[in-house]
Amino acid sequence: MQYFAGVDIGSTMTKVVIMNQSLLASVIGPTGPEHRKLANRVMEEALKKARLSFKDITYLVATGYGRISVPFADKQITEISCHAKGVAYLLPEARTVLDIGGQDSKGIKLKDGRAVDFVMNDKCAAGTGRFLEVAAEELGVKLEDMGKLSLKAKKAVSISNTCTVFAAQEVVTKLSEGAALPDIIAGLHEAIATRIYGMLRRLKIEREVALTGGGAKNIGLVRALEAKMGFTVVVPPEPLLTGAIGAALLGRNIVKEAEEKGTPLARSKRRLQEATLFT
Amino acid sequence: MTEEKKPEERKKRRTATEAASKIGPMVKAAIGGTVKAKEEGKPLAYSFIVCCYDEIIRAMDIVPIWTENYAGICGAKRDAQRFLERAEAENFSRSLCTYALCGLGFDAWREELGEMPPDAPWGGQARPDMMLGSGQILCDPRNKWYQAAQHYMPDVPIYDVGMPWPLYEDDHDYRDVQDYYVKYIVEELKGLVKFLEKHTGKKMDWERLSELVDLSDKTWNLIWEAYELRRAVPTPMGTGDAMNTMVPMVFMMGTQEAYDYYKDLYDELKQKIAKKEGVIPDEKYRLIWGGGLPSWFALSDFNYFNSKGAVFPVETTYRMVEAIYNFDIDLSKITDPLEHIAWRWVKFWTYWHDAARKRPGSHPDVEQLIKYIEDYKIDGIVMHEAFSCRSWHPGLIWKLNLLKKVYRDIPSLVLESDIVDISSYNEADTRARIDAFIDILEAVKR
Repeated sequence: MQYFAGVDIGSTMTKVVIMNQSLLASVIGPTGPEHRKLANRVMEEALKKARLSFKDITYLVATGYGRISVPFADKQITEISCHAKGVAYLLPEARTVLDIGGQDSKGIKLKDGRAVDFVMNDKCAAGTGRFLEVAAEELGVKLEDMGKLSLKAKKAVSISNTCTVFAAQEVVTKLSEGAALPDIIAGLHEAIATRIYGMLRRLKIEREVALTGGGAKNIGLVRALEAKMGFTVVVPPEPLLTGAIGAALLGRNIVKEAEEKGTPLARSKRRLQEATLFT
Repeated sequence: MTEEKKPEERKKRRTATEAASKIGPMVKAAIGGTVKAKEEGKPLAYSFIVCCYDEIIRAMDIVPIWTENYAGICGAKRDAQRFLERAEAENFSRSLCTYALCGLGFDAWREELGEMPPDAPWGGQARPDMMLGSGQILCDPRNKWYQAAQHYMPDVPIYDVGMPWPLYEDDHDYRDVQDYYVKYIVEELKGLVKFLEKHTGKKMDWERLSELVDLSDKTWNLIWEAYELRRAVPTPMGTGDAMNTMVPMVFMMGTQEAYDYYKDLYDELKQKIAKKEGVIPDEKYRLIWGGGLPSWFALSDFNYFNSKGAVFPVETTYRMVEAIYNFDIDLSKITDPLEHIAWRWVKFWTYWHDAARKRPGSHPDVEQLIKYIEDYKIDGIVMHEAFSCRSWHPGLIWKLNLLKKVYRDIPSLVLESDIVDISSYNEADTRARIDAFIDILEAVKR
């Protein structure tokens, strides 16, 4: 039996999956530099869940912004390709992918299961999960509660500042003016949705649109984006795992192609060790 | 203190051609030359590239100080921030053109000190005797920059030329109005000559001007022919080098030195093609730099593209010439040098109009891209949106979308940063985008 692993080291979360024909195990690690450094530990946890040892892994692909620093990966592949592959596998009807991560957001155009175009926002926190994270701190609300809270809104408060820092200040002002918490949070979702939609429109948006990344777990943001786009989006069962699943699947393709061609497989030294970039 | 910051040391970028590697020393010598010219009492003029008056100032022995060039040098040497900050402290908005901001910050500082700012890149930018604005219809800082600089140099006179060209309209042939444009430009240039005569106390040598105009025509043809050699597979020269080899094209036109430079480049490219010597040995993807000025502090990104198997045989940026013999007018029959310059100007800017009119919904800028994509066997297009530019850069996405609409879908990458302001740049993010783009090129090729 062949096993394939995908490691997605994002800016705030580390995700590991192990697959053969289907998903065997997955681990989503908490944020923090120490955790990224110890991607090997997350890998060990995933192996334990799958009841496998590291030598059982046929091929391992790393992706995400920290992919270069995974010494035990056989290959590094960009998150655009991995997200595209992951979404094509999980939601074959998708033609556009919108990934809202902790520090960036990206749109990907799919054709025949491959990425053919992309846009990225890595310049400004206002179109990323960071925007909501900062606002949640100001409001004293848990990030994961923001989605549900916003659904109780009667009228979204307009947040005019696009800068994350100033928007956070604006939130405090709105609170002091007596605006209801759900209305403020709904306003924040509208603000971020407007920004992300503006970016995504650079691609010719085609349905279905798949939403991935941490942002996809926020029902309020999902609704705000749907309102902008004028139709519903599709979300995979665990939107954080898309990149890691895509990485594992691309690894499987690499092995398959090498077997078919009879060419040797280039592999790393395969020692499960700490990431190097963060030491 | 910001002003005491030392610039970040950079390694010299690897070039593919000998010609490109000569440019750094040439520019350094030219900038040093302006400082020396000042000491010798020669007349100096702040000038803009693609100004239409190159041969006029050369004919009158006026030494040009290319202010955009100096800002670019500060950017390339990663030493622009202190000048940008100085301009900001003078109440100029950080959202303005960073070429202008860098220049204004430098001028403010030099004028305050009465000497060059400390450790000014390559000896600094000399104080001019006159400033020659040339905004045309493309860039407002090229009119307003020198007016703002006059705050610091109220004694330095300005002359501002307007060099329009007929804008594209799909239901009108520009030839219906071209004569009016030529007359207008000639009047503008006559005014400039009078201004220069007044401030230099020297009369224009019209015969010499005619000779220099003819020399420029020859140089235009030679540049076009040299650049067309880059169609070869593997291409002998990429855009990274072209961002150097453009220097004589835009800063030295009307000089024998420029002509000789392109003769050498032509010969070098011919030799490389004969030896099948490309920018990289294994060319996988051929790209076009389809718009936007480069980030002068990050030209090594072109080398990064190369490391991924990608080359740029062609670019629209700084392709500021066409073959004169391809125009629908015989310029050699126009004996008046100012008229000659005016016709060359109008014909250059309207060169792609006819092609656009033949393709419904198209535009001259898009036709240029299409022609290059086909002639140079291009797989993908890369553009750069510089945040501080409001003239050349805002239409890039529109151009890209129109290209895909009237021609075909083609992988594209839009980089985002600036020409001078390094604070807008993140190498890791830029390279992550390049990596993703390479993936897409690979996927599309399969």
